[in-house]
Amino acid sequence: MSHPVRKAFPWLAIALGLAALTWALAFERLPTADFTYDNGNEIQTADPAKATGQPEHRVLNALFEGLLRSMPPERWQDKFAPGENVPMTPEPAMAERYEVSPDGLTYTFHLRKDAQWSNGESVMAEDFAWSWRRTLHPETAGKYAYQLYYLKGGEEYNTAHVDVGTEVEVELPTRRDPLQPFPRGTLLLGKVEEIRKGAKPTVPADASDEQKERIEAKWKDQWVYFVRLASIRRSGWDRARHRFRKGDLMAVSKDPEQSQFIYAGGTLRALHILPDFESTVGVKAESTQKLVVTLKAPTPFFNELVAFYPYFPVNRRCVEDHGSPNWTKPENMVCNGPFTMEFRRIRDRIRFVKNPLYWDAYNVRLETVDALVVRSETTTLNMFLDDQIDWGTQIPVSMLPTIKKRLGTQFKTAPELTVYFYRINTTRPGLDNPLVRRALNLAIDKKNICDVVTQAGDMPATAVVPPGLPGYTSATGSEFNPEAARKLLEEAGYPGGQGLPEVEIMYNDLDIHKTIAERVQQLWRENLGIKTRLRGIEWNSYLSAQDKLDYSVCRAGWVGDYPDPNTFLDMWTSTSGQNQTGWKSKPFDQLIAEAGREDDPQKRLQMLHDAEQILLDESPILPIYWRVSKNLVKPHVQGWFLNAQDTHPLNLIWIDKHVRDAAGVRR
Amino acid sequence: MSAVETLPAPSRERYQALLGEAAQIRGISLWKDAWRRLKKNWAAMGSLWFLCALGLLAFFTPLLPLQSPQHQISDAEHKYQPPSSEAVTLEYDDRERRRLEQGIELDKQELRRVEKEIGELHRRLDRLPPKPEGTKTAAKKKPATVETAAEKERGAIEKEKAAKEKEKEALKGQLEGKWLAHPLNRLWNNPGPLTWQLLKARIAVFGKWSVPSLCGRDELGRDVLARIFWGARVSIIVGLVATLVSLAIGVSYGAVSGYLGGIVDTVMMRIVDILYSIPFIFIVIFLITILSEDSIKARLARWGIDQIVIFYFVIGAIYWLTMARVVRGQIISLKHEQFVDAARTIGAGTPRIVFRHLIPNVLGIVIVYLTLTIPSVMLFEAFLSFLGLGVQPPDVSWGLLMSEGLKVITPLEIHWWLVVFPGVALALTLFALNFLGDGLRDALDPRMKNR
Amino acid sequence: MNPLVETLLVVGKRLGWMLLTLWVVYTFSFFLMRAVPGGPFASDKKVPPAIQRQLEARYHMDEPLPMQYVRHLTNAAVFFDFGPSMRMEDYTVNEVIAQGFPVSATLGIIALVLALLFGMTAGVISAVRRNTIFDFGFMLLATVGIAVPNFVLASLSIILIVFWLQLVPAAGWGSIQQALLPALCVAAPYAAYIARLTRAGMLEVLNLDYIRTAYAKGLAPRTVIVKHALRGAILPVVSYIGPATAGILTGSLVLERIFNVPGMGSFFIDAAMQRDYTLALGMVVVYTALLLVMNTLVDLSYAIIDPRVKME
Repeated sequence: MSHPVRKAFPWLAIALGLAALTWALAFERLPTADFTYDNGNEIQTADPAKATGQPEHRVLNALFEGLLRSMPPERWQDKFAPGENVPMTPEPAMAERYEVSPDGLTYTFHLRKDAQWSNGESVMAEDFAWSWRRTLHPETAGKYAYQLYYLKGGEEYNTAHVDVGTEVEVELPTRRDPLQPFPRGTLLLGKVEEIRKGAKPTVPADASDEQKERIEAKWKDQWVYFVRLASIRRSGWDRARHRFRKGDLMAVSKDPEQSQFIYAGGTLRALHILPDFESTVGVKAESTQKLVVTLKAPTPFFNELVAFYPYFPVNRRCVEDHGSPNWTKPENMVCNGPFTMEFRRIRDRIRFVKNPLYWDAYNVRLETVDALVVRSETTTLNMFLDDQIDWGTQIPVSMLPTIKKRLGTQFKTAPELTVYFYRINTTRPGLDNPLVRRALNLAIDKKNICDVVTQAGDMPATAVVPPGLPGYTSATGSEFNPEAARKLLEEAGYPGGQGLPEVEIMYNDLDIHKTIAERVQQLWRENLGIKTRLRGIEWNSYLSAQDKLDYSVCRAGWVGDYPDPNTFLDMWTSTSGQNQTGWKSKPFDQLIAEAGREDDPQKRLQMLHDAEQILLDESPILPIYWRVSKNLVKPHVQGWFLNAQDTHPLNLIWIDKHVRDAAGVRR
Repeated sequence: MSAVETLPAPSRERYQALLGEAAQIRGISLWKDAWRRLKKNWAAMGSLWFLCALGLLAFFTPLLPLQSPQHQISDAEHKYQPPSSEAVTLEYDDRERRRLEQGIELDKQELRRVEKEIGELHRRLDRLPPKPEGTKTAAKKKPATVETAAEKERGAIEKEKAAKEKEKEALKGQLEGKWLAHPLNRLWNNPGPLTWQLLKARIAVFGKWSVPSLCGRDELGRDVLARIFWGARVSIIVGLVATLVSLAIGVSYGAVSGYLGGIVDTVMMRIVDILYSIPFIFIVIFLITILSEDSIKARLARWGIDQIVIFYFVIGAIYWLTMARVVRGQIISLKHEQFVDAARTIGAGTPRIVFRHLIPNVLGIVIVYLTLTIPSVMLFEAFLSFLGLGVQPPDVSWGLLMSEGLKVITPLEIHWWLVVFPGVALALTLFALNFLGDGLRDALDPRMKNR
Repeated sequence: MNPLVETLLVVGKRLGWMLLTLWVVYTFSFFLMRAVPGGPFASDKKVPPAIQRQLEARYHMDEPLPMQYVRHLTNAAVFFDFGPSMRMEDYTVNEVIAQGFPVSATLGIIALVLALLFGMTAGVISAVRRNTIFDFGFMLLATVGIAVPNFVLASLSIILIVFWLQLVPAAGWGSIQQALLPALCVAAPYAAYIARLTRAGMLEVLNLDYIRTAYAKGLAPRTVIVKHALRGAILPVVSYIGPATAGILTGSLVLERIFNVPGMGSFFIDAAMQRDYTLALGMVVVYTALLLVMNTLVDLSYAIIDPRVKME
């Protein structure tokens, strides 16, 4: 290097550093919002058809609205004490009113005339039909698509289940954008007259379930369907030369090249061969304002479901113009809820502004709302104490006694529909014995765990289904009883724990799970003389190990999907993917299946109760506690109330400025 | 010319004398000389003694009259109990035998009682006859048509034998239960044979008396002081072994790469770059997955490889990279120095130049880096434990203790003893390491020789 | 040979090596990631198998692995398109990085400047005033800076600076005040490290002949230290700040969490933990590229600062 370069280098480096520093120090100021809350982790998506999870739930409730919405009763402030759960019931929202047929299978919704999208178009029955169709479409791959399986034909449409005689819609590969399922390509509608499947491929004996499924799926793609054409819906950009006539018999396949059959008339390539949505799925827009929904079976909680975000509508034009996921960008999004999205910064915040076109805009009192992404409980507490947020949804558990003492009524807690439990792998030697499992259950001092570890006022779980579900009484479980536990263990052939293979508790490494596991470890050692190992692993490995039954005992939790005992029970049937314990019980399966078909609510609940009793007697899971919701809310936040779903509609919240100013909140 | 010729040719002895002299001069080796100089440095020596004492204390922790590091006292009173000097006795919980609400005190008598019970069981077991060879085949009964007296007798003997077998099994089971319930197994997690003896000695000497909770108690009412001591055992070994692994690899690799230069250097450094960028987190999760397979677990156990050994190598393998880069940088700027040329002219080979001449010259930086690596390794251990590699509760380490600090420091209340005491332990160790490192650096500096 | 051609050749060679390294890292990470249990669609409410298959089809995960590899590599290498993020479904990986990187870089630059400023000053003073109270004090601070994990430091500084002194807000991103505390916490261990390295380097150099010569010539002590000694002592610091800068610029997971900074640090580990394959790969590539560029810059500065070193 030459001398001048060397001499100039230090200066160059300093200049570069200064330039970088100047760039770094330039910040753009952001005006504070009326109301700021901690929304937990970054949302996965703002698309109602694809979302799952609590943070997503809060965001989608602000942006969209279903046919009904969950609301507290009128003047709930006067009727309920501050520490009490306010019941939320589905009330008319996009639908002005609805009727249910006597057999509980048909719901007729009448949409309100003043329901508008944020771009000024009115919300019509067709919007719902189209949105639900999109949610159920296989290519949307919504994780909550199964929430629409209650609709007649919903599951068949989602899983592309087609039989001979099914009315089908065949989509040809003539899309405007091949990567976007909407707008769709040319659709051929008709009836399947024959399916040629060909020889089933041989699956290697040692193949995993996943491989088997994959081979099967590939084979299904090669099936050839003969469809008698009834009508054609040509897309505007289809330049293909196909000439179809009504009444033609066409051969279509998703993968004609690989197919085992070749036809003289040629096999048409199809993107999707699905049951015809309009004729097979129980959703019909009878007029712009009238939506008729037919269910597979009477579902007493269907009105709750309709208020749940998988059933929210999206704007067809917006989705089709911008495509997915671009339509969810704040500048593109069209929504129908109380708020619209002004901007969204990854892992920082979503800024909502009031939607002036919302039908109930008069009652929405917040102009701007910030939903912050906060990923640490301690940070939530810090920001709350520093007046940076008005509502915190994550609380550091180890600090709860202090929080209760110091913050008083700002800390809000109430029972919610969540159970924390331990799964037991019932295929492991020793643990395959129900007596052992019951002994393990009886030896856990759940009250002590609630009092000393979780501390929020959670309830020791004596059964699986949390209390507070109207009309339902949980099955009788048992209290902490070390003597009885020891006796059971002896009865099972392991007196004093001798001979029982070592038990290992697996948990995903979060403080609270670790502490509870350490506590249970000690309790089992003390009360049963069992030696227990702990295995803390990261979330995804934990899920995978749980799914593969690669554990002996593992921690889990379940948040009820809807306020009905069924959501806590039907997951334990032998075929359920959520079971993950290896436990199978015929009487249990039968009771759950019968309850699903039962019309009489009283009888149905009794059946579920009996099923829960079987679950408790067999103890494939050890319920530990029923969780309570935990929130931090500033005194100036009004319209915020406790409820079992832990949902807090932003459209009801308002700020009492007098209280805020009196408290000297720095903003 | 002639003058030279007139000189008598140096005798063989003379050569040998010269050689001997030379050997003697070299006799004060680098290390001896360094040690001589290190001894003069009081700060370094003090640190050395401190570290030795720490090592000894950690090793003999079971002997100290500490409370149990894993015994939980789960009530509101003991949860997050601040430091106190209230007397504490060693107790363990055994609800089967417990009548009162307190636990059972563990002192000499109690231990003797348990040992006696176990001894009694052993004696009873020994008194039973060993399992006869032919029992199994004899037990197979032939369809007897006529039962002779002899057969009847044999049947009775068989029955008695079977009863004895059953009794034996029952005794074995009881024995196993007793071992599981043994107080030393209850209060300490999986003590090895040596630890077991030390713990027994501790009970013999101190009885049930233990040091009060001078450092307070944690969330589950466990004694923090005991946890710090028991944690030291894990952390010190992790810190040292992992750092030494990284040192050995990093220094040789960096030195060779820097000295050889050219294409070798480029390739070697690109390998470092690659390893640097591959997300270690996947490697760790991958390793854990493989290691938790039962067949692999069994095979490793047969070779005597523990999960913790792999853990050392994972950490070592991650931390040698920076070391290699730093050393390489130093070597590059040193390799054109005169002393290297000098060594080369007298015919020293590459390994000799690198390891004898160059590395001692970069030891200063290496030692500084080393003293910096040990604490980060100790903290990193906590993160790996979180991923599932490393220690699992009820075992404890300093890293785990420190990471608990995250949840106990809030503006509302600080359970300071949970952060400060482990922190002080870590900082003191580090301090000593730093001073020792400084001292070593000066002592090993070849330029300081004979000064 | 023409010096310009020579320089270009060196640069070209470097670039070639960098691309090769990137490719190796990419490939290795790609297959390693898939070998690890779990997948991007796992959640505690298990998705029904039919929907799981649909999700896999959406991200081409139903294809054989080599095909996925070729597809993704082609898109990434030719179009710089890392595809959609599997966990932040509304964004592509490129968008995520484009939003996160400036934040991390801002924080990183402030932290780096602070670390260099404090670290080098403390290091030089301790070396020059060796075995005085300054030396002892700075090294004590440096030890504390290294021994105290940054999350403890962050928690304590929040209590002290935010709640007692009420100087800056507790968390968030959007103003200099909000950036100051996290930057200090990021900088602390690096400053301590740099201080120790500078001190060690200075002590080596101060004993060398050319410094004694400089003093003997009668130059002012300050000139000797800043112009001669520092230049020689800075080498270990320079080789340290290469990788350190890459580390600082890509952010720190724990601190970004505590201070709620929307930077990239959390993406790296989170993407790995959530098995967001595309985002994790994007992050690996960005991190590697940054590291390679930084190391090249370090080697270049070596050659400029130290006359004995030749750029190869």
